[in-house]
Amino acid sequence: MVNIMSALEGIAVRVEAASGNITPLLHEIRHALRRVAQGGEGTTIDLGSLPLAPGEEKRIEDLLGQGEVRAELNALGPTVVQETRYPGVWYITHRNTEQEVVARFIEVTRMPELLLAQSEDMRRAVSELDSKLPGGNRDVGHDDH
Amino acid sequence: MTLLDFARGPGLQWSLIILIAGVLWRLGGTILLNARKDLSRPRHKGTLTDGLKVIATRSLPAHQFEKRIRFQHFSGYAWHIALFISVLFFAPHIFFFESLLGFGWPGLPNGIILATAAIAVAILIALLIRRASHPVQRLISNADDYISILLVIAPLVTGILAFAHVGARYPTLLAVHLLSVEAMFVWFPFGKLMHAALTFPSRFQAGASYGRKGVRA
Amino acid sequence: MRKDQSLGEYLFSQGVSRRGFLKFCSATASLMALPPSMVGRVAAALESARRPSVIWLSFQECTGCTESLTRSHAPTVESLIFDAISLDYHHTLQAAAGFAAEEAREAAMRENAGKYLLVVDGSIPIGNPAYSTIAGISNLDMLKESAANAAAIIAVGTCASFGGIPHANPNPTGAVSVSDIIKDKPIINVSGCPPIPVVITGVLAHFLTFGSIPDLDELGRPKAFFGQSIHDRCYRRPFYERGQFAKTFDDEGARLGWCLYELGCKGPTTYNACATLKWNEGTSFPIGSGHGCIGCSEPDFWDKGSFYRPISAGLWGSREALLGAAAAGAAIGIGSALAARSRKKKAVAEEAKSS
Repeated sequence: MVNIMSALEGIAVRVEAASGNITPLLHEIRHALRRVAQGGEGTTIDLGSLPLAPGEEKRIEDLLGQGEVRAELNALGPTVVQETRYPGVWYITHRNTEQEVVARFIEVTRMPELLLAQSEDMRRAVSELDSKLPGGNRDVGHDDH
Repeated sequence: MTLLDFARGPGLQWSLIILIAGVLWRLGGTILLNARKDLSRPRHKGTLTDGLKVIATRSLPAHQFEKRIRFQHFSGYAWHIALFISVLFFAPHIFFFESLLGFGWPGLPNGIILATAAIAVAILIALLIRRASHPVQRLISNADDYISILLVIAPLVTGILAFAHVGARYPTLLAVHLLSVEAMFVWFPFGKLMHAALTFPSRFQAGASYGRKGVRA
Repeated sequence: MRKDQSLGEYLFSQGVSRRGFLKFCSATASLMALPPSMVGRVAAALESARRPSVIWLSFQECTGCTESLTRSHAPTVESLIFDAISLDYHHTLQAAAGFAAEEAREAAMRENAGKYLLVVDGSIPIGNPAYSTIAGISNLDMLKESAANAAAIIAVGTCASFGGIPHANPNPTGAVSVSDIIKDKPIINVSGCPPIPVVITGVLAHFLTFGSIPDLDELGRPKAFFGQSIHDRCYRRPFYERGQFAKTFDDEGARLGWCLYELGCKGPTTYNACATLKWNEGTSFPIGSGHGCIGCSEPDFWDKGSFYRPISAGLWGSREALLGAAAAGAAIGIGSALAARSRKKKAVAEEAKSS
């Protein structure tokens, strides 16, 4: 795949410009970020719903850059959560088990929901620990309510 | 067959047949009808230049009435120029003419076309209101005038709606736009829109005849 | 997945974490072209979704729709969705053949009467039932029989949706669409030749998630995918607005990626999601690869003149009729002028005689 793509790039095709959707996207991100900074709700943007010219996804990634946090989680294939150089703006790439991109999102929030430990998973973890620790199942009742 | 298929196919073909046959019918009939031999001796030689001169002089407002007809005169010019720009320089229109004539020409950006089309509609509506309210104009207007104006406004308005995707799906709007143009084509040879083909020949004819008789015009 | 299990229970039993499930829901919402704010609702619905039975019938078709579907670029989500439906009959994909296959179809119809989803690809020949049969049953009879107890029907591909290529002039088999025959069931048309794979799975996902059919346009297609034209979502649209058009497939304009309208692109009159979802793992779509849209998701796309003629150019074949009209018009004009002149001459002569 990689070889084919670089071979294609050798053909003298210059894509002059652009869908014109990047600037509005950046505006949307700025508005969303201001809202979050003032204590308001977060925003998720599905990059799959935007008509983008070839190479524009890469441009968006480059424009947003990379910030301090990068998290990788492994759930039904790898997912990379990358904070951009603008704190509070996250670039999320979901891949499947075959490493193919399934969906791309830009999330504007303090912490992407996906990174938080989920209650269901924690309950499951408690019972798993219970089974490993003799006599440790007394507390489980409280959690289940 | 969808509405758009009809508008692009048989509708377009038959309206063009009626337009071309009708215009040539009226033009041929009118020109040949006047070809009676004038036996009097001409007062002035060079009827060709006399005819051309009148085409030019009649294209400016007459001195005597200049003040009173200035609005009418220049808004008429503005309307025609705006109409021609939006008809002749919108790229999809050029592709239409190219399919008909075999050659095309460069177009203008859509923003300019949209603006000129909007200006054309505004001027024509202003002129229509004036025609309906001005006592003299109202008196000399008949149904033909109003039908002709409406049939020319319709393609402009439907064209703008189609361009802006307002009111319905684009294929439907495009079909309505084409059908409105076709209605105009069919009416063209038989109503006052025919002035487009007759204005200059009739000015030429008048100029040539004045010249021959020694009238200064 | 057992039939009595909900999807949530099934994923849980497969060791999928809540995070994995939320990721699956995000991808599914994206697949269904729902806004990300709907992920919560998708999660709630999918958690308790039950596994519907699906019967897939292939009539006059080229198998391109099935090929497209099996090359879907998001296998995890798709395979989960296919795990989550019970594909009880699909004569290209199923292992069973002959009587066993037909028995599976009949059993699924019996056991899930009123609840199963019927998927159809291909058109139905009504010129002569023998043009296309499966297990000795004509396509028409099999469709009517299978549709009778279906909850809903998904017509996959332009053939099943609108008749497609078999229906093209002169339509030798009398091919018609599903909606030409079945009038009393909800039908979702997923047109395209073939449809975009994720659109097929997106529609299945919608049915699985919400147990209902999505919002449809006037041609029965889901608005989420067919709500906007290719032209409206095309990244080359700014060139159209500026009047910059490729004149040939290899001129400077073509290399610069200018608009393909003049080369016959049918994007303005074609409704589909190619410009956003794209093909081959989201790599590109026809316009991205330098060829105009041929309008494959629209009815009768095969019979709308050349793929390489601009939309604004008429659909007639030649200029001869117009030249004929010109000649006829001139002849009538000359004739009427001559007639008028002779009338005038006669009148003048009569006046001279009488005076």
